[in-house]
Amino acid sequence: MPILSVEGVTAGYGRVTVLNDVSLEAGRHGNVGFFGPNGHGKTTLLRVISGLLKPRSGRIFFDGEDITARSARAIVGTGLIHVPQGNRLFPDLTIADCMALGAYSARARPHEAENREKVIELFPKLAERWRQRVRTLSGGERQMVSIGTALMSHPRLLILDEPTLGLAPKIKDELCASVLDISKGGVPLIVVEQDIEFLLELSSQLYLINHGTVATEIKPGESIAHSEIMSMYFGH
Amino acid sequence: MGALAEILFGGLFQGSLYAMMAVGLALVWTTIGVFNFSHGVFMMLGAYLAWQLVAFGLHPAIAFPLAILATAGVGWLLQATVVRPLIGRANLVLVVVITTLAAGSLIENGVLTIWGPRSKQLPPLLAGNTMIGSIGVSLHQIAIIVVTPLILWALWMFLTRTRIGLALRAVAQNEDASQLVGLNVTALYGLAFAIAAALACIAGIFMGGYRFMSPVMGADPLLKALIVVVFGGISSISGPIFAAYLIGFFEAACSYYFGLYWTPALLFAVLILTLMVRPEGIFTSRGRGLA
Repeated sequence: MPILSVEGVTAGYGRVTVLNDVSLEAGRHGNVGFFGPNGHGKTTLLRVISGLLKPRSGRIFFDGEDITARSARAIVGTGLIHVPQGNRLFPDLTIADCMALGAYSARARPHEAENREKVIELFPKLAERWRQRVRTLSGGERQMVSIGTALMSHPRLLILDEPTLGLAPKIKDELCASVLDISKGGVPLIVVEQDIEFLLELSSQLYLINHGTVATEIKPGESIAHSEIMSMYFGH
Repeated sequence: MGALAEILFGGLFQGSLYAMMAVGLALVWTTIGVFNFSHGVFMMLGAYLAWQLVAFGLHPAIAFPLAILATAGVGWLLQATVVRPLIGRANLVLVVVITTLAAGSLIENGVLTIWGPRSKQLPPLLAGNTMIGSIGVSLHQIAIIVVTPLILWALWMFLTRTRIGLALRAVAQNEDASQLVGLNVTALYGLAFAIAAALACIAGIFMGGYRFMSPVMGADPLLKALIVVVFGGISSISGPIFAAYLIGFFEAACSYYFGLYWTPALLFAVLILTLMVRPEGIFTSRGRGLA
């Protein structure tokens, strides 16, 4: 059984339809990557999965349970954790505050101390700035806070929306390495990225999302040449 | 010496009342992003509820806390009926100005119908008068000056040192991200309104103890609280607190030197100047966020 399955989801904002009959699955082992041009529904799809946006039709199952109608808060309670795009988060809270917030749900609270250690081990830089406000941190550090907050929520499935967006190459490499570490720690990931190289390294399954639909699916085991992806991306 | 003492005392006293009112207004603005124009009505209703409970024969030490709780309940209810259903609409700020004004007007006229127009008065927090240097003051006023900072300090500790306080500050900064860490945003909105209403009720009990109460007694404090938050900035709760005392001192000084008639005009002149020079308020940076 897949850990997450999206079945025929159609969603949008107001009169605008962004997603059109999207179906996909994420397995229990190995990570899933979403890629595709900007403005074609990747972020909207993640918002639907995490309950921030209710789909017009279609269903979403997490670990066999139908979560389509549940609130974002209830979905966090199941262990499906979404790190939104951008690193705005809580600009006037300290890193310590953010970590406490991450462990707010009843499910995560008993694991607070243990998860905090994991976060500090993964991002030692955060410990140095523990009492600093998020707005005073660099872009890379803020992204670490976002991911760290999500890890504090004790995820069973972690969704990352463009974790390396707008970061300098060196910091981006560091962050990619951390994401790989999280994956090795046993938490399955769904990652939206523009960096295909990174996605290929990270995930066993890829979905190209284009014009609000799943344009192409690359299954586990299928090898794919870089040039093929490029042609999917940019057309022929 | 007498002049200074009088201005200091008057400023502390007025500042306490304004701070009590303005903090509630700022709390609702920072968490929900709306202005509650029924805030003055909460103050009035709180005072009337307290009066009724005292009239039933309850000791003020029991009646006042009950009135505060009841007003908090009304605040929560108002939020659930005229604010929450509108969240997500375009022009939310403007729409909520109208709905809270309408609800406030309903409550105001309800109070008029139930309790009548005759002026009422609450028992003071402490009975009696005393002299500070050369000026005579009531113990009630001294109690207000002492109690207000304690309540504001307690609110500050609640916001900065407790889990729920942390959650309120988080919602104030980023609603989507708050949902994604599993916060109950709707409940926190209700809580912000309830706390604001409770603070307004306390202000009403303060005021009812030294002035006559009437169904429109909340209008002027609401206006003053609005001036305070515009002056101090609404992006945190510390800004309005400082501004409340500053305006209290300003009013006291104006009343002393220019007389009561000129005070509002001078106050608005300062307000307009502030808006021209620093539209985000003098104590804060742009953006929203508690504490």
